[in-house]
Amino acid sequence: MRVILKTRPRAKPKIPIEAEEIIPQNFLRRNDIRVFEGNKERALDDLFFITTEGPAVSPDQVEVILTGDTGVIKRVGEYMNAGRIIVEGDIGMHCGNFMSAGEILIRGNADAWLGREMRGGRILCEGNAGHYCAAGYRGEKRGMRGGTVEVKGNAGDFTAEYLSGGEVTIHGNCGDLPGVEMRGGTLVIGGDCSRPCGNMTGGTCMVFGQAHQFLPTFRKNGIEDTVYAGKHCRMNAFRGDVANRGKGTLLVRM
Amino acid sequence: MPGLLIKNAFVIDPLSGVKGEVMDIAIRDGKIVEDVPSGAEIIDVRGCLTLPGGIDSHSHVCGTKVNFGRYMSPEDMRAGRTARKGVMHVTSGYSVPTTFGNSYRYSTMGYTTILEGAMAPLEARHTHEEFTATPHQDMLANTLFDGNWSIMDAVREKDVKRAAAVVAWTLAAVKGFAIKLTNPGGTEAWGWGGDMSSVHDTVPNFDVSPAEIISTMIKANELLNLPHSVHLHCNNLGVPGNYRTTLNTIGLAPDLNKERQSLYLTHVQFHSYGGTTWRDICSKSEDITMAINSRPHVVMDMGQIMFGRTTTMTADGPMEFKLYKLHHNKWSNHDVELETGSGIIPVYYSRKSLVNCVMWAIGLELALLTKNPWQCLLSTDSPNGAPFVKYPEIIALLMSRKFRENERKMIDQRTEHFVPLFAIDRELDWYEIAVMTRAGQAKALGLTRIGKGYLSPGAEADVAIYPIKPGEIDPSVDYQQVVAGFSRTLHTIKRGRVVARDGEVVVEGANSTIWSRAHVPPEYDMGKDPEFIKKFEQYYTVRMNNYPVQDVYLPRGIRIETEASL
Repeated sequence: MRVILKTRPRAKPKIPIEAEEIIPQNFLRRNDIRVFEGNKERALDDLFFITTEGPAVSPDQVEVILTGDTGVIKRVGEYMNAGRIIVEGDIGMHCGNFMSAGEILIRGNADAWLGREMRGGRILCEGNAGHYCAAGYRGEKRGMRGGTVEVKGNAGDFTAEYLSGGEVTIHGNCGDLPGVEMRGGTLVIGGDCSRPCGNMTGGTCMVFGQAHQFLPTFRKNGIEDTVYAGKHCRMNAFRGDVANRGKGTLLVRM
Repeated sequence: MPGLLIKNAFVIDPLSGVKGEVMDIAIRDGKIVEDVPSGAEIIDVRGCLTLPGGIDSHSHVCGTKVNFGRYMSPEDMRAGRTARKGVMHVTSGYSVPTTFGNSYRYSTMGYTTILEGAMAPLEARHTHEEFTATPHQDMLANTLFDGNWSIMDAVREKDVKRAAAVVAWTLAAVKGFAIKLTNPGGTEAWGWGGDMSSVHDTVPNFDVSPAEIISTMIKANELLNLPHSVHLHCNNLGVPGNYRTTLNTIGLAPDLNKERQSLYLTHVQFHSYGGTTWRDICSKSEDITMAINSRPHVVMDMGQIMFGRTTTMTADGPMEFKLYKLHHNKWSNHDVELETGSGIIPVYYSRKSLVNCVMWAIGLELALLTKNPWQCLLSTDSPNGAPFVKYPEIIALLMSRKFRENERKMIDQRTEHFVPLFAIDRELDWYEIAVMTRAGQAKALGLTRIGKGYLSPGAEADVAIYPIKPGEIDPSVDYQQVVAGFSRTLHTIKRGRVVARDGEVVVEGANSTIWSRAHVPPEYDMGKDPEFIKKFEQYYTVRMNNYPVQDVYLPRGIRIETEASL
């Protein structure tokens, strides 16, 4: 089944839409999906033109396509556990919160907290991601625990904060403090970043560009070879963060 | 106002000697009366359990430390959110809820009076402001004197009367209710990185020991004739083998008061550990309860822990540092100049942790092994042991051996080798629960003098009606019904008004703050004592004139006046 949601023109298009109910499993049986526009509760129909094509017997067969002015829609795919969401443009904050399975494909840019605390599944963002991509929300001690997040463009600050499982790949640059407080999982940064992996206690981070303002609390631990985008790379290996009894691995291209 | 008549109530009112009778309760002008004229509103409760309004004698709900717990735990604030509804404000938070969250949740459990366990005198204004925003409960504040410089100077000079005078001035200045000692001397030592490991250690720079502070304060408390006794959090909290310190402390308490205890020990569960390290920690609840059973002048509360996520917060700074070193999670440490300190960390009590399972068992054992329910009150030291919303579960655990056996299957299987809990057959009855949740508290806090904790004519009309018919259910089997019943009252009546009905709050509420004022002879008025003034102006960063809490902070204050025997 394919569900196409196209945003209706709105009088005040900047008011954000909170749409945690837009997940594939909800479209299988329910037709009472509610979303919030600012602080007003609305039926899905009030904000979107809905087109449904084909049948489905399980949530795996449901594909939701979001088009139009989608950059203000928040929390799409929250607690998603099956199926597929395709966003034809940008997407708002908190896309893929806590998702455990399924797939989200974003053709444009994603705002902050993409894949926040996700447990499984796959997110692919073809544009840039905002701050706190694949991180834990305020005060949370475990960020992303499983699954994969791939960003073709750049990501903002605090990428993969509190990462404790799964794999995060940023092909472009990251901002400040990627992998801070990391305790597991893998973070791959294709471009540059600054101050990677502060206070990390576990997991592996690889930086294939420049690591600016490198923190002094990492101990040199030899040289390793690895492969990124089909090319062999020689990497300086570090252990850390030694300020916090850390046993993480940080690899930076020579 | 024609009044209110509660018909067919199954009343248990320990302070009036009612042990379960079906009767009517008449209420007029916020008081219990003999009868009301016809035309009064009638609530027919059809034999449901009716108790005086609940009183929590030790809980952390308001103040700077609690508020710090809120803003260092945004993840906790996301838990337990409820939307605005009718007169109810938005609430959020689970272990450290917003003030309205605290108030509504206590109210739906039938609690009408709460004592805030620790208020730093210097930060009293904040506490009183939050009291005003906890609208459904009358509030009291225990005031911290554990590291107070003037007190320790007086203790060193063995001048009980001067200590009493300082207490009288401070309580009046900050509108506090009673004396709280948290790890006496330890918080001052923590300013230098140290702690007190026994009651006979010496506080740096003051040359006094915790034992001297405790003994002096017990005597000073009685000189002032305060309603409550000294409220003590012993030294060495949470250290394996600390039961010896606790026994030594219990031994310090003289019997000085005919009407109530002379020493109140709080969250004793945290002070009843045997063993030497976390690996061989075991329960010493039998030793502690034996000491309590032989000393009717000492009262304690349980400080039960319940499994799950919570936040620990206490004025005991060094203890929180030890916990921080165990957990390596976030930690707050705070110093209150010349007075005390505090620390906060979030914790998770797990069924998989043997230490946590032993702690869980100890709390229950304390309640079950104490012969006289008036001497062991129900508390979790909320939120340190568990948020107060777990009280109904604790009540059910105490009333049902079957429930305890079911829990036994879920916790660490080694637990039974370290605790006597599963050999105890005792199951508490409704009367004992009524004592442990309201009557005992009213007596221990000395609140019966303002009409709290009982339901005979003249008392404050604070009533909790639970959807439980004691004749029809067997609490030892139907423990789930006990949990459900105590979680949600049919009606909670506060000062003659129904404030919560079926788990929903129905009025805005307007509470009172209860505080103590001991009148001392002019020569003991510290406000005019040149030496006290000189030290105050020399050491505090605030001026003495700016220190007292103005009356505007207590819009509906109730002052308990006493005449000091100085």
